[in-house]
Amino acid sequence: MLEGLNTAAAGMAAQQTRIDAVANDLANANTTGYKHLRVGFRDLVYTQTGRSSAQGPRTGAGAAAVDAGRAFDQGALQRTDQPLDVAIQGEGFLRVRLADGTTALTRDGSLHVDGTGRLVTSTGAFVQPAMSIPAGTALSSVTVGPDGAVVAGGRSLGKLDLVSVRSPQALQPLGDNVFAATAASGAPRPAPAATTIAQGALEASNTDVSDAMVTMIESQRAYQLTSKAIQTADQMWEIANGVKR
Amino acid sequence: MERGLYIAASGMVSEMARQDLISNDLANASTAGYKSDTAVQGSFGELLLRNTETGATVGPIGQGSRIERQVTDFSAGPIKETGEDLDFAVEGDGFFAVQTGQGVRYTRNGQFTVSPQGTLVTAQGDPVLGRGGRALQVGADGRVDPRALEVVQLTNPRKEGDNLATGTPAGAAGTGQVRAGALEASGADAARSMVDMIASLRSFEAGQRVITTIDETLQKAANNVGTIGG
Repeated sequence: MLEGLNTAAAGMAAQQTRIDAVANDLANANTTGYKHLRVGFRDLVYTQTGRSSAQGPRTGAGAAAVDAGRAFDQGALQRTDQPLDVAIQGEGFLRVRLADGTTALTRDGSLHVDGTGRLVTSTGAFVQPAMSIPAGTALSSVTVGPDGAVVAGGRSLGKLDLVSVRSPQALQPLGDNVFAATAASGAPRPAPAATTIAQGALEASNTDVSDAMVTMIESQRAYQLTSKAIQTADQMWEIANGVKR
Repeated sequence: MERGLYIAASGMVSEMARQDLISNDLANASTAGYKSDTAVQGSFGELLLRNTETGATVGPIGQGSRIERQVTDFSAGPIKETGEDLDFAVEGDGFFAVQTGQGVRYTRNGQFTVSPQGTLVTAQGDPVLGRGGRALQVGADGRVDPRALEVVQLTNPRKEGDNLATGTPAGAAGTGQVRAGALEASGADAARSMVDMIASLRSFEAGQRVITTIDETLQKAANNVGTIGG
C-alpha cells in the first residue's frame, strides 16, 4: 500500500534524466556539428494489488527515462567564409585520426593548420587521409570541392574522407565532437554520393533552443507535480499514524 | 459498534489504492502514448439487520468500500509536433504493432529509433512491424514512410508496462492515420490528477476521523459506563 511514494520517485528520477539531457543540449547550442539527444519515457510494470487477484486494480510502478539515441538531422549551415571551414551537407562524417592513433568520426569541420602544416580539426584530430598545406601557401588559396577534394595553391592534396555508418544512433560519443564506430553502428563505409561538402561554412548545432526550453519547462512542472504525489502519500502516512493516539 | 471501525478502514484502504493509481499517472505525465487509469470503487454487499429478540427488520447496513478494478482510458490523446524523423503518432484509433520476446505487443508510443541492422525499433530495441507483419527498414535518408507502419485496432487492450499493451487484434478497419514527426502526448491530465489527489486525501482523512471518533466512544463505554458522578 501507498506504493505511490516509490512510483512518484521513479517519475521524478525520469524527469531528472530528461532535464540533464536538455541541459547538455542547451550547453551545446553553439557547438559545431552537435546532434541533440532524444529522451523518451516508458511506464513500468503493472502489478495486481488487493486480495481478489483477478479483479483488483493493477497499479503501475511509475516511469523511467529511455535513451532514444540522437537526432541526426542536418544542422543549419553558418557562413564563415574561412577557407578551412567545411560543413557536411547530408548524411555522413569526416574521418579523423585522434592523437592516440584511433580512428573517429566528426561533423565538426572547423579545420586548422597545425605547427607542421598538417590539417587538423579544432580539437587537434588529424584529418584523414593526412594532408599538409605546403609551407608558404596562402590559406585563401585553399579550395575544397563539394566532393571533398582539397586543392592548395593549385596543387591537389587529396580528398577528405567522407564516411557514413549503418546506424549512427549506435555511435559512441567520445566528447570533443567526435564519435567512435562500434559493432552496433557498423563499420564506416563511403558516404552516399548525395553527401557534399560546403566550403566556408560550418554546421550549427541542431539543438532547437526554443524546443529545449519548452521541454525544460514541461519537465520541471512534471517534476513538481510528481513531488506533490510524494507529499500527499507522506500526509496519508501521517494521518494513518494518527489513528492510534 | 466495532463494525464502523472496519467500514472506515476499508474506505481508507480504497483511498490508498486510488492514490497509487494517481501517483502512476503523474509519474507518467511525460510518457508519450501513456493512457491514464481511473479507480472504480464499489461497495461490499449490504447486510440486512434484524432485531435478535423480535426478528423485526431494522434495515440494511453497508460494509464499506473497495477499489474493484481500474479502468484505462484508451481514447486518443493530443498530438504533439516534434519534427523528429522517427517519431510517429496515430491520429485517431489504433496501435502500432511491436515484436517482443513475449510475442506481438501493441503501443501508442511512436518514439522509435534505428537498430544496428537498420530496422525501425522501439526505444527498448523491439522491432516495429510494418504492413504484413514484416520489420521495417529505415531509408537511407533516415526516414520511414508513415503509411508503411502497421496499425491495428485492439479489443480489450491492457497495459503491461514498457509502453506496451496486450489485447486481441481486430483488424485495421477504422484506424487513424499515422503521422511522422509527431508524438501522442501522455493521457495523464495533471489538473485532474491533482484534484483527485486532494479529494482522495481528504476522504482518507475523514476515514481516520471516523475511526478516532469511534475509538473515543468505545473509550467512554469502557471507562465511564457504570461510574457514578462521572
